[in-house]
Amino acid sequence: MKFPWGDAEKRKQELNEEIASHLQMAARDREARGESSAQASAAAQRELGNAGVIQDVTHDQWARTWLEDLLQDVRHSLRTLRKSPGFTSIAVLTLALGIGANTTIFSVVDSIVLRPLPIKDPDQTAVLAFHKGNGPLQFFFSVPDYQEMGDQASASFSGLMCYLSGMDGLAVNGKSDRIMTNYVSGNYFSVLGLKPALGRLILPSEGETLGADPVMVLSYSYWQVHFGGDPNVVGRAVSVNGHPITIVGIAPAGFHGMSPFLSVQGFLPLGMASIGVYPKDFMVNRGERLVIVTGRLQTGITLQQAQSSLGVIGQRLSQTYPDTDKAMNIQAFLRLQAADPQHTTLVISGLFLGLAALVLLLACTNVANILLVRATAREREMAIRAALGAVRSRLIRQLLTESVVLAFLGGVAGLLLGYLGSTTLGSIHLQTDLPVQFDFGFDWRVFTYALVVALLTGVIVGIAPAIRSSSGLATVLREGGRGIAGGKSRLRRALAVAQVAGSLMLLIIAGLYARSLMEAQRIDLGFDPSHVLNLSMDPNQIGYSEAQGREFYKHLLDRVRALPGVESASIAAVVPLGYLSNADTPVIDGYEPPTGQSVPPFLYNVISPDYFETMRIPMVRGRTFTSADDAHTQYVGIVNEAMSKQFWPNQDPIGHHFKLGSEPVHSIEVVGVVKDSRFDSITSPIAPFFYLPFAQHYTFNSLETLQVRTYAAPEAMMPEIQRTIATLSPDLLVFDVETMRQGLYTLGGLLGFQIGAGLAASLGGLGLMLAIVGVYGVVSFAASQRTHEIGIRMALGASPADVLKMVFREGAMIVLVGLAIGLAAAFAAGRVARNFLVVSETDPVTYVTVSVLLATIALAACYIPARRATRVDPMVALRYE
Amino acid sequence: MKPRYQNRIELLQGTLDLLILQTLRWGAQHGYGIALAIRANSGDILQVDTGSLYPALHRLERQKLIAAEWKVSENNQRVRVYRLSAAGKKQLAAERSRWAQISQAIAGILGPAGEESKA
Repeated sequence: MKFPWGDAEKRKQELNEEIASHLQMAARDREARGESSAQASAAAQRELGNAGVIQDVTHDQWARTWLEDLLQDVRHSLRTLRKSPGFTSIAVLTLALGIGANTTIFSVVDSIVLRPLPIKDPDQTAVLAFHKGNGPLQFFFSVPDYQEMGDQASASFSGLMCYLSGMDGLAVNGKSDRIMTNYVSGNYFSVLGLKPALGRLILPSEGETLGADPVMVLSYSYWQVHFGGDPNVVGRAVSVNGHPITIVGIAPAGFHGMSPFLSVQGFLPLGMASIGVYPKDFMVNRGERLVIVTGRLQTGITLQQAQSSLGVIGQRLSQTYPDTDKAMNIQAFLRLQAADPQHTTLVISGLFLGLAALVLLLACTNVANILLVRATAREREMAIRAALGAVRSRLIRQLLTESVVLAFLGGVAGLLLGYLGSTTLGSIHLQTDLPVQFDFGFDWRVFTYALVVALLTGVIVGIAPAIRSSSGLATVLREGGRGIAGGKSRLRRALAVAQVAGSLMLLIIAGLYARSLMEAQRIDLGFDPSHVLNLSMDPNQIGYSEAQGREFYKHLLDRVRALPGVESASIAAVVPLGYLSNADTPVIDGYEPPTGQSVPPFLYNVISPDYFETMRIPMVRGRTFTSADDAHTQYVGIVNEAMSKQFWPNQDPIGHHFKLGSEPVHSIEVVGVVKDSRFDSITSPIAPFFYLPFAQHYTFNSLETLQVRTYAAPEAMMPEIQRTIATLSPDLLVFDVETMRQGLYTLGGLLGFQIGAGLAASLGGLGLMLAIVGVYGVVSFAASQRTHEIGIRMALGASPADVLKMVFREGAMIVLVGLAIGLAAAFAAGRVARNFLVVSETDPVTYVTVSVLLATIALAACYIPARRATRVDPMVALRYE
Repeated sequence: MKPRYQNRIELLQGTLDLLILQTLRWGAQHGYGIALAIRANSGDILQVDTGSLYPALHRLERQKLIAAEWKVSENNQRVRVYRLSAAGKKQLAAERSRWAQISQAIAGILGPAGEESKA
C-alpha cells in the first residue's frame, strides 16, 4: 500500500539499516569490553530482542498516522461540539434543512431521470420514433411497420420488440380488478434480457396470431400483493375482460414495464390485444399506430450508426406505402431522450436542484457565520495551540474536521428530513386511479449524493473560518484578546448580502409559480368545470360485447338523467386535462398540406349527444349530435374553431368531409363547430380538435367517463350515481371518481403548477428564514462588537437616534445590495423557468411584491439590534474594557 | 534506605518521549547513543528497551518534535542521527513542567521522604 506522505518501502529499508547499525555498535562496545566477536554479536542480538517485531511496530508509527490523526480530530471535534450544545444543535438543524431539501429534490430527480430500468444493459436499448415530414415526433408505430423494421434492422439491432398498453379487467374467482397491461411481442422479454421469477415469460412464438395464446405473465409486485406470492398461481385459470386466460409465469422482481411512472401489472402476447379495446385489424392495418418499439443495439453499434440504417428503412417504407408512411423519418432515442424530447424534465430537474442548492448555500452561509463568530471567541485557544507548537496546517485541518463532522451530523438529520420530504411528494394524488409508480425511495445514488453534499458543505462552511482563525495568531496574543473583527466582519457582511440575494431569488421563483397557479386557476378553460362529476368505467373489462356495452350506456344515461338534482348527463372517452387521450391523423377532403409538410396527429373525443350541454361548451354554428346519429346513418363530426380555421379558412366548414387516418372507410361530415376549449394543456395555444359521436365509434371507446352536471354540490350526488351504476351492472369497476374541478389537478393541468408553487414556496420559505437569521445575526454581532465605540459616541453626545441610524444603516446597506443582486439573479433564473409559467418571467407584480416583502422583513431584522444598540449605557460600555 | 537495584523499570506512558527529548538537548545522537545516555544518566537504573525506543523515536519524528538524518560516525559507520527541532524544544519545556507538577503531586501524596522507613 502506498500512502501520500512518502515511499513506505524506502522507509522500511532505512529502518532495517538503522537497527542493523544499532546492533553493530552494541556488539563493538561489547568486544571493546573483551567479549569475543561471536559472543558479542549474539549478546547484542539477545539484548535487542526480535528485530522483525521492532521494525513492524516502528513502521506502524508512520503507517497509522493519517487515520490516527483523523480519529483524534474527530474525537476532539465531537468533544468540542458536545461542549456547546446550543451552537451544535442550531448548526446541525440549519444544515439538515439545507441537506434535507436537496435530498428530497434529488430523490425525485433520481427516480425520474437517473434510475435505470431493471433490465439487462439498459444503455444498449433505444426507443424508436419518427417524424412525418416536419411534423411532430411520434412514438407509436403500426404493427406491420414494426414487423418490417424488425426484419430489416438486424444489422444495427440484435432485436426490436414492441408493446402496447391497456387497462383491463382481471377476474380471479369472481373478484375483479382493473390492471394495467402490456400486450407484448414474443421477443419482448428476451430483448430486455429478463428471466422469469417463476414459471415462464411470453415466448417468441407467441403473439403472432390474433387471439391465439391466451396466456399472461404477472408482475412480481402484483403477484406479491394480490396473490400473496403463492407459487401455485402459475397454471391458474383467470379471466381478462371476460376471456379465459392462463397465468404462466411471474416477471422478475422490480420490473414493471418500460415506464418509470406507470406500473404494468400483467403481460400478454401482442395478438391477445383483441380482447382489449383495440380495433380487430390492428395487426394488419398500417394506419393504426398503436405500438411502442424498443430495440437493443448490436454490440459495437452506436446510436448514430443505428440512426443511419433506420433512415434507410424509413425511406423504403415511405416509397412502398405512400398512403400511410409518406415522408417517414425513423430515429432512435435513448429512453431518457425519448421520455423527454423537449428536455422539459431535465430543465425542471436542473431548476429545482439549483434552487435546493441555493437553500443549502444559504444554510452554509449561516453556519459559516456562526463559525466565524465562534472562531473569534476561540482565537485565543488557537493562538495558544500555535504557540505550543501546533503547525498551522494541523490547526486548519482540525477546524475543517470540526465543520465536516458538523456537516455529517447535519447530513444524517438531513437524510431523515429528506425522507419525510420525498414521502410527502410521493404521496401527492395525481387525480388518477392508474397504477402510478411514484417511488421516490432512497437508493445508493441518493445516499451518495447526500454524503457528497454533506462533505462539500463541511468544507465550504469550515474553510473560511479555519483559514481566518489560524492566521494572524501572533497579533491576537499581542492584542491581549481583542478580536481582529474588522476583516472578518467584512466577510460576514458579504455572506449576508449573498443570503439576501439568494433568498430573494428563491422567493421570486416561488412567487412566479404561485402567480402562475393563480392565473391558471382563473384561465378560461372554454368549458365550465363547476358542478360536474366524473366517473369512468369500461364494460369491456367485464366481458361485455359491443351490443351489451351500447345498451348499458344508453340505460345508464337515461337513469342518471332521471335522478333529481341532475341537470344533464353525458359520456366522453376523454376528460379534458386527463391522462388518457385519443389521437388520429385525419385525412381532410380537398386539403393538400403545403409541400414537405404533413397533417400532424390531432386529439379527439368520442361523446354522447348532451356532451356540450354538460360541459357548457358553446356551439358556434351547425348542430350538435343527436340520438339520430348512429352506426347506420351518415358518419358525422364536430370540430373546434382552431380546426375550422386551419382547414377551412374563411369558409363554412359545415358539409365538408374528412376521414380518420386509422379508419379511412367512413367519410365523416362536419355538422357543427364549437368554441375552442382546453383539453390537454392549460397554457399552450389551443390546437385543432374534433368530436365524434359515441354511437358511431364504440370500438376502441368502450372506456367512457360519465359526466354529470348537477344543480347542487356535485359531491353529494356521488353515492347515488354509483348506486345507479351498480344496479345496472354490479360487477363493473368504476374508477377515477372525482369532480371535474378535482380532475383539473392533473400533471398536464393545474397539478404541475401546484407542485411547482408548493416546492418553490417551501424552498423560498426556508431561504427567507435562513436569510433573516443571517442578516439579524450579522447586524447584531456587528453592533455588539461596536458597543465600546457606541459608548464613546454617546458619551460625546450622540443621540440614540444617531446610534440607531448608524447601526441600521449598516444593515440596510446589506439588504439593499442583496436585493439588487438578487433581482438580477432572479431575472436569470426566471428565464430558465419561463416555459413552465403562465405569467411572464418578468412579472412585475411578483418582483415588486416579493422585493418589498423581503425588504420589510429584513429591515425589521436590522431594526431590532439597532434599537438595542441605542440602549447602550455609555458608562457600562466604557468600564467594560 | 536505598531502593533495590532493579534491572528494568517500566517507563510511564509518555515518559520515554520526555527522556529522549531531554537527552537530545545536549546534541544530536543516534538511537544506540540515546539508549546508552539514558542508562548512564540514570545511574544504570533505566534501561531503554529497544522495542520501545525506535517506535518512540519515529513517533517523535513524525510529530516533527525531532528530525533525523543519516551521518557517518567516527567508526565510519552510517548511522541515523536525531536532533531536537524547535517544536521539540517547546514540547520539552512543556513536558518538563508537567513532569515537575506530577512528581510534586505524587511526592505530596506519598508524604515526606523517609516516613515509611520510620514507621
